[in-house]
Amino acid sequence: METSNQPVAEAPVTNGTTSTSNGAVPISNGAIDVSAQEFAQAPLSEQYDPGFQGQTQAQVQPISADEIALYDRQIRLWGVKAQEKLRTANVLLIKMRALANEIAKNLVLAGIGSLTVLDSSMVVEDDLGAQFFISEEDIGKNRAEAAAPQIRKLNPRVALQVDTEDIQFKQPDFYAPFDMIIATDLDIATLSIINASCRLCSRPFYASGTHGFYGYVFADLIQHDYVIEREKSNRPTALAPETFTRSIVATSTKKENGKVIEMVTKREMYSPMVLANTSPLPAEQTNSRRRKLQVPPLLSCLRALWEFYTISGNIPSHSHADLALFTSLATEKHKELQLPTETLRSDFLRSFLQNIGSEIAPITAFLGGQLAQDVINVLGQREQPIQNFLLFDGEEFKGPVYALHPIFPDMDSNLNPPVAAPAVGAEMAMAMPV
Amino acid sequence: MGRDRFRRQSLGALYSRIKQARILMVGAGGIGCELLKNLVLTGFGEIHIVDLDTIDLSNLNRQFLFRQEHIKKSKALVAKESAAKFNPHVKLEAHHANIKDPQFNIKWFQGFKIVFNALDNLDARRHVNKMCLAADVPLIESGTTGFNGQVQVIVNGKTECYDCNTKETPKTFPVCTIRSTPSQPIHCIMWAKSYLFTEMFGMSEDEAPEFDHSEDTENAKEIENLRKESQALNGIRQSMGSDDFARKVFDKVFKDDINRLRSMEEMWKIRKPPTALEFDGLSKAAEGTSTSMAQQDQKVWTQEENFAVFCDSLKRLSSRLQKSRLKTLKLPPLPCSHSTKMTRTLWTSLQQVRIFAPSHSALKHDQNLTSNKWLATSSPQLQRPTP
Repeated sequence: METSNQPVAEAPVTNGTTSTSNGAVPISNGAIDVSAQEFAQAPLSEQYDPGFQGQTQAQVQPISADEIALYDRQIRLWGVKAQEKLRTANVLLIKMRALANEIAKNLVLAGIGSLTVLDSSMVVEDDLGAQFFISEEDIGKNRAEAAAPQIRKLNPRVALQVDTEDIQFKQPDFYAPFDMIIATDLDIATLSIINASCRLCSRPFYASGTHGFYGYVFADLIQHDYVIEREKSNRPTALAPETFTRSIVATSTKKENGKVIEMVTKREMYSPMVLANTSPLPAEQTNSRRRKLQVPPLLSCLRALWEFYTISGNIPSHSHADLALFTSLATEKHKELQLPTETLRSDFLRSFLQNIGSEIAPITAFLGGQLAQDVINVLGQREQPIQNFLLFDGEEFKGPVYALHPIFPDMDSNLNPPVAAPAVGAEMAMAMPV
Repeated sequence: MGRDRFRRQSLGALYSRIKQARILMVGAGGIGCELLKNLVLTGFGEIHIVDLDTIDLSNLNRQFLFRQEHIKKSKALVAKESAAKFNPHVKLEAHHANIKDPQFNIKWFQGFKIVFNALDNLDARRHVNKMCLAADVPLIESGTTGFNGQVQVIVNGKTECYDCNTKETPKTFPVCTIRSTPSQPIHCIMWAKSYLFTEMFGMSEDEAPEFDHSEDTENAKEIENLRKESQALNGIRQSMGSDDFARKVFDKVFKDDINRLRSMEEMWKIRKPPTALEFDGLSKAAEGTSTSMAQQDQKVWTQEENFAVFCDSLKRLSSRLQKSRLKTLKLPPLPCSHSTKMTRTLWTSLQQVRIFAPSHSALKHDQNLTSNKWLATSSPQLQRPTP
């Protein structure tokens, strides 16, 4: 299989000169108004613009027949263009616990260009419970280094780098070479610093973590454009806001099997984690009692846990003082979110506390699958991404997504009707790349 | 501290029951690989894996227990080897076999605490559903397509079962569209793969489920035509191995049939009529065309290249079929103690299945010839042997 290297008909133009040096690239395509900042954030789209031959693509070979055979089943799902974007993507994955194992597996199997795994800690026996890249003989080795050989074997086409330095020591410019940064199982202060650095160099950022049966995914894609393909309707598509974070910025059409397909370019705007973490729930989630009752207490508990760590530098122990502090923080956060006191049940608090610090494979697999699929969609600039906070409760098996943003205008007065409902509170589709 | 620290922490008392549980997973594909990893890491005591399939290149983008060097090996066995490394305390048992095999009887199913279905077809799902209901073992059923998926828990007497709801059957195509007026590439592929190929290299009455044989007037006429056609193709089939086999198939499909279709004038009032091809002309034009073209499946072939691949494929398929016939002809002698008419009929048809069935799998992997796969998947034919 390694011999043939037949380019496909749709292979992009990859040679040529670049027009700028810092990634801010003028675009000649009139259909989509792409700002320089956005372009730096998503440099993967360049090769599909006929007016652009990017420097990052200069050494990239066109997709080969072998790769098309290997990735056949997923190309059928997301198309060869999205695959081409994936295969040039450079992803940074911070901290190598069970959740990151899943994310690494899913991205490497899907065929991203390169992956850097970063972890400064040593493998301990506890890690063997849910992490599948390591075994007993790796105890004492660096976690990222121990996992690397197994990750490599999953897909030798992906360039894998290992970084064993503490993430706290990284300067903001460290993040610039990456197209996507994913940080897992970290405290809010560290996540906020990484997020801020990513914003400085306009890089999309995901944060995720699990505690036993519970977990979350947060996304700050700054500003993200993506294309939805749908059969063209008789009603014209207006270039207008759809929700307070999303708007339609361009449309074009193509013919496929005699049907007219409309390609709608949508834009989502994001907030950094430090702001989202203190933001209220979206108005339509809190304007009725029934909706308030649906919000899982997990959101309040996660916020309480982050604050607890910020205050004490540790996770809550089983001591009375710790339990009392955690409970009062959770109650406070619950109130801030304007949620009814009866939904912060004591049995939930007990279960959450019981699970803190733990990692179990079925939960990390689910959340890692969900996150990796979102990353794949974002890199391929297809499908609606997470906007912006996904809460996962493995006991209830629920995973609602809430848009948490500091400024929340009254939608009716700011948007022209009709307005589609925002993508909040929606049950997530199970999207493990299997 | 230790490997099971977090399991104890999160699962509590449940964990000791998990450690003692003996469970079964049917199917080691996309879902199966992920599921097996999760089951092994969760620490189930003993896990049995059943899968009759072998590993293919196109599996590797998602079935992470398999790698390039495992291609053509048993999914069940390789999955077991790979997953065993995740947790040495779990006992794993792999069966490279069809779940419908008689060895997997109700008593066998009763030996498991839970059964997990990670299958890719309706038939096997239904079978496991029935077995679990009969054995009174909880079944967790699953499936995915694209970005979507579902999981269903089935407990005898407590929940609905898999067959309580009618399932959407796979897409079918009307025979007349497939045969006479194909309008999409998939129609031609269906025709070639499910009809022509079976006629040439499989059992004649090996019916493809993709064909819609509903008896409306237009279809009924077509089905009658198909019967005639089947006889004609059978005649051509007799010349397999001879020099003019390729010419006979070619003339039938690309000349005679096309001319017959063209003669139905009312059919071409609104459609563009097809053009018949000449074997001799193409044969000359394709002279020197390399058959290695067949490996380049992402390139659009010229007519000459198509022709060269066509002739080459027929040649290779014929010789493969003949070789595999020789291999499988040596069946054990007819058991004389059971010489009732029924047993005899069954045995005769079994022989036919054994003789003809390899033609399909001959295209894939030769090791399937001796597996039970074919006997099982061909079982509908056992009830109606050829006269």
